Amino acid sequence: MRTGTTNVAAPTGYQRPPGLPGWLLLSPLLLWVALFVITPTVIMLVYSFGRRGTLGGVVLDFTMENYAAVLDPTYLKILVRSVIYSGLTTIICLVMGYPVAYYIGRADERWRNLLLMMVMIPFWTSFLIRTYAWVTILKSEGLLNGFLMQYNLILQPFEMLYTPGAVILGLVYTFLPFMILPIYTSVEKLDSALVEAAFDLGAGPVRAFSRVIVPMTSPGITAGILLVFIPALGLYAVNDILGGGKVDMIGNIIENQFKGNARNWPFGSALGITLLLAFGVAFWFTGRRQAES
Amino acid sequence: MKRSVVVISLLAGLVGACTQKEQPKELNLFAWSEYVPQSVIEGFQKDTGIKVNYETYASNEEMLAKLVSGATKYDLIQPSEYTIEALANEKQLKEVDWSKVPNFKNIAPEYKNMPHDPQQKFTVPWMVGTVGIVVNTEKIPAGEVKGYKDVFQDKHKGRIVVLDDPREIVTWAMSTQGISANDVTPENLDKVKPLLQQWLPLVKVYDSDSPKTALLNGDVDLGVVWSGEAALLYNEDKKFEYVLPVEGAHLFIDSLAIPANAPNPEAAYAFMNYILRPEVSKLISADFPYTNPNLEARKQLTPEQLANPASYPPGNPKLETFRDIGERAVPIDKLVTDLKAQS
Repeated sequence: MRTGTTNVAAPTGYQRPPGLPGWLLLSPLLLWVALFVITPTVIMLVYSFGRRGTLGGVVLDFTMENYAAVLDPTYLKILVRSVIYSGLTTIICLVMGYPVAYYIGRADERWRNLLLMMVMIPFWTSFLIRTYAWVTILKSEGLLNGFLMQYNLILQPFEMLYTPGAVILGLVYTFLPFMILPIYTSVEKLDSALVEAAFDLGAGPVRAFSRVIVPMTSPGITAGILLVFIPALGLYAVNDILGGGKVDMIGNIIENQFKGNARNWPFGSALGITLLLAFGVAFWFTGRRQAES
Repeated sequence: MKRSVVVISLLAGLVGACTQKEQPKELNLFAWSEYVPQSVIEGFQKDTGIKVNYETYASNEEMLAKLVSGATKYDLIQPSEYTIEALANEKQLKEVDWSKVPNFKNIAPEYKNMPHDPQQKFTVPWMVGTVGIVVNTEKIPAGEVKGYKDVFQDKHKGRIVVLDDPREIVTWAMSTQGISANDVTPENLDKVKPLLQQWLPLVKVYDSDSPKTALLNGDVDLGVVWSGEAALLYNEDKKFEYVLPVEGAHLFIDSLAIPANAPNPEAAYAFMNYILRPEVSKLISADFPYTNPNLEARKQLTPEQLANPASYPPGNPKLETFRDIGERAVPIDKLVTDLKAQS
């Protein structure tokens, strides 16, 4: 689809508006977006200006209080920490996932589907069960410590569970397939002739990779980054299970406003809207980078 | 398409509910996860012919969120004491017709007319528990830990599990200063802040759902947990000692209550009366070893069950319960979030 000449601008000519059949075909998607994306977001936006109801819920009002509370240093600190955690997760997933995706994409047709299947098999088990399985592996009397002690590689159990490292591990484990799959689709479409041409024209492996292969697979890389970074930022279960709930992530804080003592829905909504804006900015930024390259 | 199916099934449900007013066929039970044994639900269905739709929640606030949204109408909920008070204040509970729940006589007098339901109009106690300290006596000598102050010591750093519940944590700190659990004022919060600043960095795990896991796995040696969790640990291994903190413990009581808009209150009465039967209540105790408020059921428990110090604390101390503190819960949440973010 995209070949070496990536800087051809998108066609800007006259585009025919979709006719009635077109709208009909689009309508399920539009309805879905209206019901499950726009409506909840609008409700959240309205709630975020309201006041806390006695039993939870919201008393509608127009106050900026909730947004003022979001700007508290504690929440900003937690937001920054969440960005760092999910950023780190994204980088690790990219570094680990790219070679895997490249190998699968370039593999022999016969093996390719089998390898892809192996990436997807974990999805057949519930995410929570897989995360709890890590508790069994990482706990101080767990499988990993038991193995290491058996072979005298360590003398005392190594504290792995309930640490930030365990949280990052859990996040990487959860999101790695979301990095591999989109990159794989890009790699699969990669034209080998262009890579060979790069070598023929004197590029070494590093240059061929950085100047030809990476730019041509960049749509997959961008999709992978977005698919990992954004959900990782909001996920709180891994933090609770593997991190011991010690260090709150922004997802935990939002959850607490609805399911915790405070019953502060408007504040939770304001946090949600803030996060949504942050996502929007991140999305716009990567989109722009993409267009520039 | 999907929506019309939903509408049709809702209508069918409504028609069903209207025509069967005399003889309820359904009970929409909304209860804590892991608190109602499957055997009790099956026994009730067999006994009464009423089908139970069982939905669960993991916190009082989650239950309130669904109840207030009104998306589903429930016949029976299982709130804790402070939530009962909040619901009653907002006129969200239906008064129980006690003539339909004759087995209520089995409840011990000390669990009747408690502060959250002073006239005993709305609730049937389910289980009662305390929040206390569990110590793994293989790691820490038995008897060494007597109160919160002994738990939160530097030597236990990284070996402590606590409930992931800001109000609980703040209450423990307040009780070391002789402040009542319900005396939540900005001044008192300021007073306990330095103490919490010392305590929280020592904690290894915050877990309200299953604090016993970290203790069983050996990742921590002591903790402040629900008594039912402590009782399960004790059943597993006698090395787990349960201590009611000397500074003052508190009691929680989970009860059955009927929402004001319940479609099948008759079914709710039937369920209340059913679980109050000693032979049924006994089954609940077997799975969830909290303090059973049903005196007749207690007579049928084994000596081992009654000897579990977490289920039936020796001396049966008189303890205070949580009251509804309304929006004073917001600064508590903020305080604990702040301190966690600092550590």
